[in-house]
Amino acid sequence: MKFISSIKKDFNTMTWVLIPVAIAINVVMGQIVVLLKLPVYLDSIGTMLVGALCGPWAGALTGTLSNIIWGLAIDPNAFPWWPVAFFIGLVTGFCAKGGLFKSWWKVVITGFLVALTAAIVSTPIAVYLYGGITASGSSFITAYLLQTGQGVLQAVFSTNFLVEPVDKISTALLAFAILQGLSRRFLARFPRPENVQVETGAGRTQLFIAIGVVIVLVLIAAFVLVRILG
Amino acid sequence: MHERLSFYVKRDSFLHRLNPLTKLTLVFGLILIAFGSPWYWTPHGIVLLVIFPLSFLGKVQREYFQAAVRLILPAAGFLFIMQALFQPGGETALLRLWLLTITQESLLFAFSNAMRIFVMVSSFTLFLLTTHPSELMSDLTRRGLPGQFAYVIISTLQIIPQMQAKAQTIIAAQRSRGLDTQSSFSKRVGALVPLVGPLVFGSLVEVEERAIAIEARGFTSRRLKTSLYEIPDSALDRALRWGLIAMVVASLASRFLVD
Repeated sequence: MKFISSIKKDFNTMTWVLIPVAIAINVVMGQIVVLLKLPVYLDSIGTMLVGALCGPWAGALTGTLSNIIWGLAIDPNAFPWWPVAFFIGLVTGFCAKGGLFKSWWKVVITGFLVALTAAIVSTPIAVYLYGGITASGSSFITAYLLQTGQGVLQAVFSTNFLVEPVDKISTALLAFAILQGLSRRFLARFPRPENVQVETGAGRTQLFIAIGVVIVLVLIAAFVLVRILG
Repeated sequence: MHERLSFYVKRDSFLHRLNPLTKLTLVFGLILIAFGSPWYWTPHGIVLLVIFPLSFLGKVQREYFQAAVRLILPAAGFLFIMQALFQPGGETALLRLWLLTITQESLLFAFSNAMRIFVMVSSFTLFLLTTHPSELMSDLTRRGLPGQFAYVIISTLQIIPQMQAKAQTIIAAQRSRGLDTQSSFSKRVGALVPLVGPLVFGSLVEVEERAIAIEARGFTSRRLKTSLYEIPDSALDRALRWGLIAMVVASLASRFLVD
């Protein structure tokens, strides 16, 4: 019961009004990125904003509805991918709850965790619904891995793992930058403003920690990939 | 510019008059049968014998075939080519291209996969062409979907075109001030901030006002609201829904029996 009431607390009127705006931000940002011809999607900024400000379940709902509306209004091919968006919002929410949305290097970790989840969740969808090769450009990598004799699951997962982190980390950083630009009075109207309060610390140590974290993440990524491919 | 974003085409047809829930059941029923049925030719049969006739029955055949050519065929076609080329396995080689071999097995596999995706996207397109979003939402709300969900979906469909228009204005304004959106990669990355900033902050500022406005109109009230429009739900609708559910169960059951 405590669980349900804590979810109810996250869904106040501000949350319900923010969700449509966040979905619209997802859609329009996705289109601006296409216009600028950048090699990322950035189509979950709104989902991450809601996840950080209004808790994991609100974020998950935003992600799911975002895909449903994308399918309803723009491209029906988007429907089957809603679990991925669900988990992007959920993981962002839990990371923010755990204090990983308070300074930019922590946001990089959030982005990495979200990317890992997205890679795991989208793999079975790609494999069982599309037989491994989907209609997106990164499928050429999958196809190459399949030709080298990889199993379908491994090939799809390693492709996602190569593509997702860049996209999700930049998405998380942009969402963080947007939150920093909003006034404290405005943020206080949402259910979880304490999630995004910036920590002030010595700049130099932060930078060293950040570089260390990035190196460790890259090493983990390399290790996982070698294990999968080897 | 401020019109609602949807595929909906206003016509008077049998498909338009069906209850939205019946059509939704039809969509999911067709998808489940296409993916669940053990026979190779089921998805192809559904396309030829169900989806194409339905598009004529709904009087939206022109719009449906346009959407099929523009949206569905490119995706399904790309999928088909990629899978035919790269799916490993199979013995009967049909064609050798440089390093790649197209086998009979991979070709058949790719074709049935592409057809399944075709069924999935087609049935959704057909549903969207014949059902108005607010009709669907008010029917689902009447059946117990919380009003907040209906609010989110309907207002998103209104906000997206507004925000697209706003984005166009911002892009034009920043370009006229000399913002470079077309040259080198680093310049295009740099252009992201002056475009995203005004758009996102501008739309977030409206959130608070809108929250106060709908709060004042009883948004969170638990009382049952009355509706101006009645959405018909005939005996035929109910019969169709149960028939579809029975067919889905039968096709899933036959899969287990055949295996």
